[in-house]
Amino acid sequence: MSLAREAQNAYLEHVTRRHFLKSAGAGLGALAFASLGATAARSPDPLAPRSPHFAPRAKRVIFLHMAGGPSPLELYDYKPVLARLHGQDCPESLLEGKRFAFIRGIPKMLGPQAEFQQHGESGAWVSNHLPHLAKVVDKIAFLKAMHTDEFNHAPAQLLVHSGSPRLGRPSMGSWVTYGLGTENENLPGFVVLLSGGAAPDAGASVYGSGFLPTIYQGVQCRTTGDPVLFLGDPEGMPRNLRRKSIDAINEINRQQHEDVGDPEILTRIAQYEMAFRMQTSVPEAMDITREPAYIHELYGTAPGETAFSNNCLLARRLVERGVRFVQLFHWGWDSHGAGENESLTGGFLKRCQETDRPVAALLQDLEQRGLLEETLVIWGGEFGRTPMLENRTGTDNPFVGRDHHSDVYTMWMAGGGVQGGITHGETDEIGYTAVSGRVHVHDLQATILHLLGFDHLRLTYPFQGRDFRLTDVHGRVVHDVLA
Amino acid sequence: MKQSLIWLSAGLAFLALMLILVPGSGQPSDFSLFLGRFHPLVVHLPIGILLVGGLLELLSRRTSLRGRYDTGILALLYIGSWSSILAVIAGLYLAQGGGYAARELSWHKSMGILVVLFASLAYLYKVWPGLSERWFKHWERRMYGICMGVMLLSVTLTGHLGGVLTHGPDYLTYYLPDGLRQGIGLPKKADLGRLQLEDPAQTTVYEALIAPILESRCVACHNEGVQRGGLRLDTPEFLREGGDNGPVLVAGRAHESELIYRIWLPISSDDHMPPIESPQLSVAEAELMRWWIDVGASFEELLPDAEWSPATQTIVDHMGINEIRTGIFALDTPAPDSLDVVALSDLGLSVTRLAEGEPYLQVRCVNLDACTNTSELQAALRRLSPQIAWLDLGRSEAGDDLLEVISDLPHLTRLHLQQTFVTDAGLVHLNQLEFLEYLNLYGTAVSDSGLTHLRDLSALRSLYLWQTRTTGEGIARLQSVLPDLYINTGLNQTSSLPDSTD
Repeated sequence: MSLAREAQNAYLEHVTRRHFLKSAGAGLGALAFASLGATAARSPDPLAPRSPHFAPRAKRVIFLHMAGGPSPLELYDYKPVLARLHGQDCPESLLEGKRFAFIRGIPKMLGPQAEFQQHGESGAWVSNHLPHLAKVVDKIAFLKAMHTDEFNHAPAQLLVHSGSPRLGRPSMGSWVTYGLGTENENLPGFVVLLSGGAAPDAGASVYGSGFLPTIYQGVQCRTTGDPVLFLGDPEGMPRNLRRKSIDAINEINRQQHEDVGDPEILTRIAQYEMAFRMQTSVPEAMDITREPAYIHELYGTAPGETAFSNNCLLARRLVERGVRFVQLFHWGWDSHGAGENESLTGGFLKRCQETDRPVAALLQDLEQRGLLEETLVIWGGEFGRTPMLENRTGTDNPFVGRDHHSDVYTMWMAGGGVQGGITHGETDEIGYTAVSGRVHVHDLQATILHLLGFDHLRLTYPFQGRDFRLTDVHGRVVHDVLA
Repeated sequence: MKQSLIWLSAGLAFLALMLILVPGSGQPSDFSLFLGRFHPLVVHLPIGILLVGGLLELLSRRTSLRGRYDTGILALLYIGSWSSILAVIAGLYLAQGGGYAARELSWHKSMGILVVLFASLAYLYKVWPGLSERWFKHWERRMYGICMGVMLLSVTLTGHLGGVLTHGPDYLTYYLPDGLRQGIGLPKKADLGRLQLEDPAQTTVYEALIAPILESRCVACHNEGVQRGGLRLDTPEFLREGGDNGPVLVAGRAHESELIYRIWLPISSDDHMPPIESPQLSVAEAELMRWWIDVGASFEELLPDAEWSPATQTIVDHMGINEIRTGIFALDTPAPDSLDVVALSDLGLSVTRLAEGEPYLQVRCVNLDACTNTSELQAALRRLSPQIAWLDLGRSEAGDDLLEVISDLPHLTRLHLQQTFVTDAGLVHLNQLEFLEYLNLYGTAVSDSGLTHLRDLSALRSLYLWQTRTTGEGIARLQSVLPDLYINTGLNQTSSLPDSTD
């Protein structure tokens, strides 16, 4: 064989498809590890604890998502003028160029379906539907001029949690776990707790990991039955045998990873290990019967049921044990008035009763344990509701309700790095548009990441040829609410 | 030969005349600026020609080449002298336009004239060896060499200063690799846009952001020596005073301030500032000026008090101003040894950096029984004593004996001891923690006597005492010593909840 021929063969060996894939895979893996930190290469354990960009104000997050879009006009945004306009036709000028999910034609104005009073030293307005929360308003920063781009549940929920109204992006909890790892190696870094009888409209994608390695997706824990599905060993499988089989599987996976360098293999190894440890740690963390009676009294918990109050208590237990991001969803705030459970006089009041006491209890309980100033608590839905009575496609609904409204709504934050007892943003006299202090969903996300020590512009992941981030190409930290 | 000497003398005389005629400041005519712009064109002739002359002279020091290039060197020195005269004259006109850093400009001028003088002298000595024998005697043999040397040195320095004037002082070194940059005392390239401030918390917005803009863009024509439009922009007093056309600042109203109005005018306008030929304000600089006037044009406001607009927030974030360092972050603490970090992690604790690039660590006892082995753990903690800032032993088996190590952790800011076996005796070890901001003692056997050990913790901001043996009295005594301290004693079982009859 001539020398030239030999050289050509050696060259071709390097560029064959198999070799290409192999080196490309290793390259991508290395890229994923290097993408976050300037200081050091990422540890091969995808869940190893890591440092944020700057010293954090909040170590953990509890996000209380009120799925369906609770009406701020019945909770926090007091509009006496709207009461005076009750029953009048909505002026056409307010309807021009607007799109609603259900309202058609000329709807009537709907006054607040609640009594309001000022509370606390801050004098925050809170309605009579939230008597417990009214006692803790001085810990809370209200964002009264939130706005979003979407007026339907699933895309709006996706926008809040993943920064995009379409599927496929990682959720906030995934980004945070990707950025910080998990502190307690026996528990997932990102736990999801559902209540209200239905999953969020956008499904598991609101706590999915999108294009991030799947180890960062939210782990749903249940309050009845097995806390985590498919975690327990089948009957007849002793724990030491389980250990041995996991060791064997992981060894094979490790060899495979050395060969092809796919980060998803590391994810799989970490998941097996985590699941094994969770078999003992999760039942302990999720067992709220260990709490004393006065704590159950405080939260109004009912052990053994799937209830929002149980989830609030669990949230506290989980953050106490080092879980970074606890995501609660409570479904059923979609008060159109089309049915009793979907009305401001029916289901809405029930949701208030279900959540009022546990939310206030959560803030108080976190505080007396010294956790509130290190834990960011966020409350809110995916959008607000119209100051007009919903007339479903032109005809009156049987019950009183409001349509979806994306231009302005209220969310609040409390704890870790947030000023208590303030209100940021203001709506007009009828709560229809923002007058000042508008905060977009992306701004909220930038602020949450900021409090956790991240520059939202720098928490990125390379995917399909560009660096992605939670706030897409938007987001501005709301400095006015920072302590 | 004589003829050329006469011509050269005439050139020198003309230059001397121009030096007197071309004034240093005042409004130049368009025509003189037109002439001035030939300076960069002409200036490379003397540089190249004189350097080649010098090189040939060096070459002919070799015996085999002695005298061979003399005719050429003569010609080069002659043309070099002449072209340097022209370059200096054009340069004088160009300088009239203003906008150049005053100190560098005056050096550049003087050195340029030195080039002319010594190039001409070198020519004279070359033509007429022994020209000044009468005065210099033994030195005469060396005069030619000295003149050549001084001339070459001046050419190099003048050229460099010219480069600094047009391209800025860091043009040459901008792309120097970071390792070499630090070797010659320059900041890293990535840090170039960042402000290097001694004590940012005590620096005014004016000093940090506004004065440097004025200094680099305006002061060249508005200073003690030159006052175009009767205006000086080099001190706060003169800024307030304004110029011939009245005040230039209207505090709180940028759009009414002459300073901003001039910057915003289209560059083609005669009133636009800085003049078209001078370096212009960047968008960020213009925005900072506008913002500063809009928020009151204060000369006293300190950086930490500034209320940034979204745009200026972006700008100052980039300059690193939001990272104003206080408390432990103002200290020069070395990064932790990674072997020590591994040793502590191997004992079952979670150890992470507080943030990227910070030396400080947060340490958490996640494996709750890891905190029982005290001697080994104490040793491992001590090895990281300057770096541990957050220590969370909450819910662990830790007791008073482990707390001995705390007095050796001087930079501790957050300490979790809730639900541990810590008692009053252990709190003795806390009394020296001058940076401690957060202390969680809930669910411990701590009582009023333990609280007395906390009286000197002046940095302490929050203290959690739910489910301890402390009493209202003891807490009140501590509160009277530390009035700003937030003390939480938790909920009584019914307090601050509405009646649960709903």
